[in-house]
Amino acid sequence: MPFDTLLTLLVILAGCYMAWNIGANDVANAMGTSVGSKALTLRQAVLIAAVLEFGGAFFFGNQVSETVQKGIIDISLFEGQPLLLVYGMLASLIAAGAWLQIASYYGWPVSTTHTIVGSIVGFGAVYGGLDAVHWSNVSFIVTSWVISPIAGGILAFLIFSLLRRVVFYSRNPLAETKRLAPFLLFAFFTVFSMILLVNGLQNLEFKLSFWPGLFVASTIGAIGALIGSFLINKIAVDKLSTSESLSAPSREHLIHLREGFSGETEEKMSVILEDMDSFERSLKKKEDPETVSSEYHTVEKIFGYFQIMSACLMAFSHGANDVANAIGPLSGALTVLKTGRIPEEATIPLWTLALGGVGIVIGLATWGWRVIETIGKKITELTPTRGFAAEFGAALTILIATCLGMPISTTHTLVGAVLGVGLARGIGALNLDVTRDIFVSWLVTVPSGAAITVALFYIIKFMFGS
Amino acid sequence: MRSYLNLFGKSPIAPLQSHMDYVFRAVHLLKDLLSACEKQDVALMASIAETISECEHQADIIKNDIRNHLRTSLFLSIDKTSLLDILSIQDGIADYAEDVAVLLTLKPLVIPSSFHEELKDFLTKNIETFDEVHKIIMELGELNESSFGGLEAQRVKSIVNSIAIKEHEGDLIQRKLLKKLLAAESELTFTSFFLWQRIIQTIAFVSDLSEKLANRLRMMLQID
Repeated sequence: MPFDTLLTLLVILAGCYMAWNIGANDVANAMGTSVGSKALTLRQAVLIAAVLEFGGAFFFGNQVSETVQKGIIDISLFEGQPLLLVYGMLASLIAAGAWLQIASYYGWPVSTTHTIVGSIVGFGAVYGGLDAVHWSNVSFIVTSWVISPIAGGILAFLIFSLLRRVVFYSRNPLAETKRLAPFLLFAFFTVFSMILLVNGLQNLEFKLSFWPGLFVASTIGAIGALIGSFLINKIAVDKLSTSESLSAPSREHLIHLREGFSGETEEKMSVILEDMDSFERSLKKKEDPETVSSEYHTVEKIFGYFQIMSACLMAFSHGANDVANAIGPLSGALTVLKTGRIPEEATIPLWTLALGGVGIVIGLATWGWRVIETIGKKITELTPTRGFAAEFGAALTILIATCLGMPISTTHTLVGAVLGVGLARGIGALNLDVTRDIFVSWLVTVPSGAAITVALFYIIKFMFGS
Repeated sequence: MRSYLNLFGKSPIAPLQSHMDYVFRAVHLLKDLLSACEKQDVALMASIAETISECEHQADIIKNDIRNHLRTSLFLSIDKTSLLDILSIQDGIADYAEDVAVLLTLKPLVIPSSFHEELKDFLTKNIETFDEVHKIIMELGELNESSFGGLEAQRVKSIVNSIAIKEHEGDLIQRKLLKKLLAAESELTFTSFFLWQRIIQTIAFVSDLSEKLANRLRMMLQID
């Protein structure tokens, strides 16, 4: 096999592995809560995530990919030996993938983004000297890592506080939800179509400038809001179903048993009956049409649909931001292999973005769905209103970062957003230990990624020669 | 992914409610205990008192479980000091229920006919007061869902007001009851007089603490 073909194959394999990793581990953050709150079934969640992750990666992945490829290190330093850049990028991909594998085996909270940035900084600094690293860009990126969870938290806090004020604290939560719905729908559709029109579709040679884009986007937003609020108005107040009939036979059986026994067992039966009584009392309270909880229940049901929207936005922005971790290095290396020299501009061929998107979808299909299921089962605290606030805040932050070309950690942003909702007294209990995990991840991941990459870089260089 | 999953802690609301369920059981058994006392059924009284003490013990176990799991890194939608206060007041109610059971079973007691009705009314009123606050605790989940404001909070607020009224009614009955007790002085031996006086006082603590608990819960609401 010719040397170049082998190298190309290796680069593509490593890039796909990285994309697979992203799809397998991180997509679940976006969809897990929607599955947990039963707004989506697992199958629907996987399908929606697949479409939107791919869409985000394909239409919107180039900005961050360019940063990863060219913004972190000065690739013109490799002018004399373009192959070394290929080795470096290959080493980064393999190192990041390996480190992620190790970290997830031990359960360490690491981020794909931090690892790949660390890897590239590592081989750049070791090969090209400290000057080869664009330190100002890197410090921007690192700052964005710190800012993104905070920004996600603040946005989610504001969104949830708004919901609290408008919906929960009103005398008529359901009517207020229906009144608020068009505005939320409008915001969602406008943001989404604005991003596609102004930034996203340029891959397809379609681009509107800001003002016409805003006009078209807000028109789409208005139409979306109209249709959506029409559909929402058709949702009726839910009455929870009666459950008494379910427990009647078992109660009879227990009473029967109690009569048949004496002593210990009789007492035990009495205790079980008491337990059943208190359980039924709590069920009855939930059924009581007098209570407001059925109204809140309907509010949560409506927000279930909003949460699907925010999950879509989250999946889209995740695809757009994280595909860069695989495709930035991959396309850089492939361009060098194809042209034999260092590109002047960062080049992200469209097919590589598609490849990244497909890789993510395969990761989702082969492993990620399990993670979605796990998260859905374990996270029951996040009701649709909370999930919506957290996901919308996080997705907006990630989208803004993506527009700025900043590779950030989507998981950390989402964690920040959930903490924001918690600060607004939205969530029963939160483990603040996780913030420590995030700090550790900032401090540890970058050097580890760098160290592994440098080691791999020398191994690859030794194997293929320079 | 993992950091996202680890973010969610266990909410103490459900354990708090199951603690309250044991308290509920203990308090409601006092009714059975009193009717057993009317019938002079000493064996039944002993077994009911035993069950009450068992409920109190279970409540203690849950209480310690909740306390031991409140790590400093846990961030709750209910303020941690409020939570601990609520827990200790609930536990206090169970303790008093147990005390009543103990006092009633220390020696065979005959309920003097002169204040028999008042005593029953008094206990019923105290249990009613407790039932109201039990209702609030059982709605903590919904309160958390509506973020401690809005309609749900208004409802809780009105329950708190009704608890204050019930507690006052209980006080009025208690005054009547004590007068009758003092009037019956000559019929009673010193120990029975002493025991009845203590029993009445201890039953009164149930509604006192219920009101205190209700006021503590009222402070968590985000309404004016």
